[in-house]
Amino acid sequence: MKFHWFAQHYYTKLPQDFGDTVRSSWVTPPASVADPTQVGEDYHMYLRLMQQADGLGWDSLLLNEHHQTSLAMTPSPNLLAAVLAATTENAAITLCGNSLALYNPPVRVAEEMAMLDALSGGRLIAGIVFGTPMDTAFSYGVPPIELRERFHEARELILRAWREPEPFAFNGKYTQLRYVNTWPRPVQDDVPIWIPGSGSPETWDVVNDNDYCYGYLSFSGKQSAAPIVGGFWDYTQSQGADMNPNRMAFTQIICTADSEAEAERQYSDAVKYFYRQNPTAIEFATPPGYNTPSAIKANLTRAKTQSAEERLKATRGELSFWEYDELGYIIAGTPERVEQRVRELATELRIGQLITCMHVGDLPEEVAAQNNTLFGTQVIPKLRDVWGEEEDRWTPKVSQERVAAKFGNGAGLPV
Amino acid sequence: MTTLEIPHVGRFDVQVWESGSGEPLLYLHGYERHPGGAGFLRRLAEDRRVLAPEQPGYGRSTGVESFTDVLDVALFYRELVESWGVDGIDVVGHSLGGMFAAELAVVAPHLVRKLVLVNAFGLWLEEQPAPDPFGAADEVKAAKWHGEAPKSEPTNFEPDPDDPHAAILFAAQNLGSATKFMWPIADRGLRRRLPLIDAPTLVVHGTSDGLLPLAYAEEFVRLIPDARLAPIERAGHYPMVEREDEFVTAVTDFLKG
Repeated sequence: MKFHWFAQHYYTKLPQDFGDTVRSSWVTPPASVADPTQVGEDYHMYLRLMQQADGLGWDSLLLNEHHQTSLAMTPSPNLLAAVLAATTENAAITLCGNSLALYNPPVRVAEEMAMLDALSGGRLIAGIVFGTPMDTAFSYGVPPIELRERFHEARELILRAWREPEPFAFNGKYTQLRYVNTWPRPVQDDVPIWIPGSGSPETWDVVNDNDYCYGYLSFSGKQSAAPIVGGFWDYTQSQGADMNPNRMAFTQIICTADSEAEAERQYSDAVKYFYRQNPTAIEFATPPGYNTPSAIKANLTRAKTQSAEERLKATRGELSFWEYDELGYIIAGTPERVEQRVRELATELRIGQLITCMHVGDLPEEVAAQNNTLFGTQVIPKLRDVWGEEEDRWTPKVSQERVAAKFGNGAGLPV
Repeated sequence: MTTLEIPHVGRFDVQVWESGSGEPLLYLHGYERHPGGAGFLRRLAEDRRVLAPEQPGYGRSTGVESFTDVLDVALFYRELVESWGVDGIDVVGHSLGGMFAAELAVVAPHLVRKLVLVNAFGLWLEEQPAPDPFGAADEVKAAKWHGEAPKSEPTNFEPDPDDPHAAILFAAQNLGSATKFMWPIADRGLRRRLPLIDAPTLVVHGTSDGLLPLAYAEEFVRLIPDARLAPIERAGHYPMVEREDEFVTAVTDFLKG
């Protein structure tokens, strides 16, 4: 299996009562809370941690796009990706992703991704996302009912822009261009494409029809995610589509330490900060038209593996550190325990691409760096056998080869 | 169910509530839902033929995906009215239906005899920004009504014993369709076209509407060449519900006059 280094680029100096006093940490959080100088320092910390991970055997460094939120100060992940493309050597650069419906003309995304693929020597993974309701409908004002159509039109345009040898005209419903002739083109002939989703069957069809990698990027852990991930695989099997586990990306918070007591001491506050400082106003999370009727039905009828009370306590930071661990929100403990728990997770949910969240909330940099070292040197090498025989067309060849060359048998390439 | 095939646009299956006989009246419902056979519609139908289609994308009416913009909606209603074989019709449009009614009056002056706009969306006033009609549910509910919200709002929703989620899906689908024309701001350029309306127009407005301050109604009156204001006190976004008598009187007096 493969490992993708990730952190929500949280603002690390929120007032302690932020989560209790703001109506929403999305769309309308008071901008005065974030000191731009501190934001700059936070960016440097996240970059240092990712550069460290590149030297420890991670298969990619993953960035996401969010707007108007203290949870993730990455409205343009491509800017940070450019820094990484120029300062790292082995790992792929995963954009997970760019919210296609927000850019007009969407050839801007085709251009920037091609630039990143060129700059990194063919190490780009192109994650493309609808974007959360908060990002798309509210921060960028896209009518929710148009979002999916805009996304798919943009996706088709971008893929053509990468492939067509000659300039072409594009007469879409939302974008019209007389001359599409993207410069530069990506280094990779087939840039790997990931589409994270939230369990909508329409997205599963697109992912299966086009042989993309699907992703379920929640922070609610295995127990809560199992019905959606399992639902994807049941559906994929019923469609006769590719069951390769490398077609599933999944996010997991990791807290590695020398002992379980140390893990609790080092990570507990930061984990609670991560969950409790992120209140999302209900109207920003569920605008009408964002989910299709079939997606709403699927959500309403899907088995709930967690009580509403547990869920509420989790988002308020009111679970104990080990309750978070037990429910799968986090995987914490010694490298041995973490290895065993990740193995269970990856095997049971058929996950080939694990997005390891190595920094949470206001975790001190030195703890995150230690998390990197312990997980990178003592966990990743032992988990390479999981799904190790499966072909992986969803990460770049260049990064597979470089990680394998540097970190040995079983890393990067199928055995 | 009426089926309309509009060449190069699409196919629409439209649910039409119809009652009464006499002069035809087209009623276009608001952004939340079709009111079903609400009291005010039945009273309007006492001396005329009321035709109240459910907007494509709402309830059981289909075809919203075929609309590229609000001009398509106006042309759709022109086709629908012509399909009834009438050569002229009075039009009452409420809320989002008011935006559509005004657009119809612009593109089909030969069809629209008299126009009534009721707490209509379609304009934006920089000095009086209207609140988000898709905002927090309790805030929207409080804004809509002058007094206490009624226990049940007029609706054409019919519970489905086999589908416990039918009400959620009904509301999500209706409001989702409204976002096509009202998100993020319910302004699709109507201001530039209102001066082209020929029809005599009555602008009815529940003056306590927290979603649309009275200034919006006054702006409609200012921009439409032959328009006057009929404010209804002690009513919010639904004056036909909160002040049914006053509403019906104002509308019928105007249409008869």
